[in-house]
Amino acid sequence: MNIDLGATLVALMTFFGIAALMALSLNLEYGIAGVPNFGQAVFVSIGAYTTAITYTRLLPLLAGKEVIWPCGPTLGPALQLRSEIMRSYPGAGFLNLAITLVIAALVSGLVGYFVSRIALRLQQEWFLALVLLVGGETVRIFVRSYEPVICANNGVSGVAQPFAWLGNPQLSSILFMLLVLSVAALTWVYCERLVRSPFGRLLKALRENAAVTRSLGKDVALARARVMLIGSVIAAIAGVFFVLNTGYISSNDFVVTLTLDIWVMVVLGGLGNNRGALLGALVITILDRLTAIATIQMNMSAIDLEFNYVRYILYGIILLLMLRYRPQGILPEPARTTNAHDLLTDPAPHVADS
Amino acid sequence: MPPALLITSLVHSIQVGSLYALMALGITLTMRVIRLPNFAHAEFVTTGAFTALVVSLFLSRSPVVILGLATLSGALVALSSHLLVFRPMSRRKLSTYSMLLVSFAVGLILRYVLFVLSDYYQLFDKRIQIPLQILVRESYLVLTNITFTIVPVSIACVIALALLLGRTALGREMRALASNPELAHILGMRVERIRSLTWLLTGATAGLAGALWGLYTFVNPLLGWLAILPVFAAAILGGLSSFAGTILGAYLVAFCENTLMQALNHYTGLTFSFKAAIPFVIIILVLLLRPQGLTGFVRRSGDLER
Amino acid sequence: MLQIRDLTRSFGGLRAVDGVSFDVGDGQVTGLIGPNGSGKSTLLNLIAGQLHPDTGSIHFGGQDITRSSPDAINRLGLARGYQDPALFFQMSVLDNTLLPAREQLGESPWHAPWHARWRGQEQHNAARADTLLERLQLRDLFDRRASDLSGGQMKLLDIGRSLSGEPSMLLLDEPTAGVAPKLAREIFQHIATLNREAALSFLIVEHRLDILFDFVDQVIVLHMGKVLAAGKPDDIVKDVRVREVYFGL
Repeated sequence: MNIDLGATLVALMTFFGIAALMALSLNLEYGIAGVPNFGQAVFVSIGAYTTAITYTRLLPLLAGKEVIWPCGPTLGPALQLRSEIMRSYPGAGFLNLAITLVIAALVSGLVGYFVSRIALRLQQEWFLALVLLVGGETVRIFVRSYEPVICANNGVSGVAQPFAWLGNPQLSSILFMLLVLSVAALTWVYCERLVRSPFGRLLKALRENAAVTRSLGKDVALARARVMLIGSVIAAIAGVFFVLNTGYISSNDFVVTLTLDIWVMVVLGGLGNNRGALLGALVITILDRLTAIATIQMNMSAIDLEFNYVRYILYGIILLLMLRYRPQGILPEPARTTNAHDLLTDPAPHVADS
Repeated sequence: MPPALLITSLVHSIQVGSLYALMALGITLTMRVIRLPNFAHAEFVTTGAFTALVVSLFLSRSPVVILGLATLSGALVALSSHLLVFRPMSRRKLSTYSMLLVSFAVGLILRYVLFVLSDYYQLFDKRIQIPLQILVRESYLVLTNITFTIVPVSIACVIALALLLGRTALGREMRALASNPELAHILGMRVERIRSLTWLLTGATAGLAGALWGLYTFVNPLLGWLAILPVFAAAILGGLSSFAGTILGAYLVAFCENTLMQALNHYTGLTFSFKAAIPFVIIILVLLLRPQGLTGFVRRSGDLER
Repeated sequence: MLQIRDLTRSFGGLRAVDGVSFDVGDGQVTGLIGPNGSGKSTLLNLIAGQLHPDTGSIHFGGQDITRSSPDAINRLGLARGYQDPALFFQMSVLDNTLLPAREQLGESPWHAPWHARWRGQEQHNAARADTLLERLQLRDLFDRRASDLSGGQMKLLDIGRSLSGEPSMLLLDEPTAGVAPKLAREIFQHIATLNREAALSFLIVEHRLDILFDFVDQVIVLHMGKVLAAGKPDDIVKDVRVREVYFGL
């Protein structure tokens, strides 16, 4: 079997960038703030569905063409129109991507914000996990049954990468990889700064004891809503890139197992540690590729084993082993996270108390 | 709505409701006694279904043997996951969310091991081989021996479980452990033994439910997983504590999924692809609006106190 | 400063707090005593907003706080400590102390990523925390996780943390429980100093009456949810009813 090493690496790093966004989002929500988001798939899927809608409805308008209904009998022409615009109208493509990111972020952020507000009504702590899980499945069933979003079961295909107009698939996928990686890097810097700020301190206090945090004068509900908003925005951006990368949107991609994948990354890397989230994302992306390659190899040598099965068994085992033997993850959360400590360690910390 | 549709959907509601009740009681029991929202329950059910299938294919076609071995397999899987995973994990004092994750992981492993096995032995979407007899054949209704197996067996099992909890020493101990674990320890109850027996019991009911569910449809590795969220809906309607409430909740969920869905389809044209969302909507509404579920409407002596 | 009128709260059939009224004046230290189950903790929870009363009213600094939320009450300047120190054990001593500081710009996620916007404020707060920790003899431990502290140090940090929100009144729930007698007296000396220097008012639930009575201006005795007696420590000690139910004499 021939594996094009360069292309594999580019694909791997693109996947890694997307996975890193998802893991950073969950780490912020659960690792730092303790909000158990078992509905990560929904927020990722909001990004994906937004992409489906803008690339079928908005893109033609931006390029000055007429919109063709993307489902049913006009599915073919609509697909052709999309690809043509992506090939010859780079301006429209980029503008569309920018608008998609903004809409996805807004919608997902608002949903996250309101879900966390509603969640305050829940009595037991794990109910939120269940509501998010079930809410995600409900959205998925709705999208699968209601044609206008992604043509129901058919999905929407032909959502090209923003650099498709270059006409050179290799170059455009490298540029796309760079785009994804730089967004992931920016997000990482942002998350790191949040964690080390007083906001991060508030979130960690919240994670440990919400009632006491509240009695110390903090608006706990607002802080939770805000962190859900930020996490949801990040997840939605990951969702947009996810679709642009595969070029295809199907509701089957956003099932509970996607949420579990993200949890595996964060638990593996280290809850509460952004570097850990990145490491977890990298390990899982590589494992994913390796199991895929291994299965193809095995299929060739007539051993019939679906790679998804092996993958999930592996993930289950990783989760159990980590939670059993190293619940803090490969890279545990550092004890000293806010910058304030440097202020007291500095040689001249005694600023006069005015 | 035409009477044929109404009656057929009601029969479905009763069949599915009885099965949901059997599964939901297991969920409620683990929730109260072990204090774990156990998503791996789904795979205990699936294990039972596969055991029934394999037994019916290669060993015996007697319903008693099939159901008995399925029950046994469910109990064994549940007990071994307790001994191998849940008990060592709970000693680490993990958070509720981590334990939830552990139950997901156990379920994931079991489910995909079943996938691998059924792939290897070509067991996908087979029926459990019990000879089919048609007992009632009207113009609008066909009732087979399957219906007359599923419903009475599940109801008998539910009653047996309720009696066990309400009337026996073991049941009293389980209820004591559910309402106050520290006190149970102090009173010198053999807590570990009660926990193990609880796992055996929930596993057994899950295995039996799986075999019955397999009689009702085809057997595949997603069988339990696809049923688990409606089952959680039933348990949550029961307030995760009340036996009577859970049973009522199970029939209510099944009724909404079948009869109500049929009616909605008939009168508003809602397509059946929305059917799967019904239990989810129930879960969300109950948790937000009435977290105690149906408790308060119904209370029985065998209830597990909150 | 704090006015409590006819406060009642029942759990099921049990009246945990039953028609309680009393005042805590500006700059006063008030002791709240009573046998176990007399309703002291419920009363503290009612004042701090963690429970809401069935009837009656609570005013703080002229404002009605009867139905206010715990965070709103804290922001008005009424802070509480906990009996079992409810610290943020995974966080450092310094972070514990800094958390309650008011109006932190960096607590908003919009400002948080921009270090320059809140660094000045954080420095100011850190300097204040420094002084506070110095005073409570925790300065050298600022970098430790709160879980590494001794029981007495945890108690001190719990008080210190409440103080860093600059309250005008502090509710303390058995500040010396489980602490060596010498340290217990030290804790009360801290309280007295704070009362003198910062004009802080206190309402303190305490079982160590010997120490408590040396430091308070006023004592309220609760019994079965009702105020049995209220007055100066000397008068309370002489009160026949109090001696009966409380000291068992």
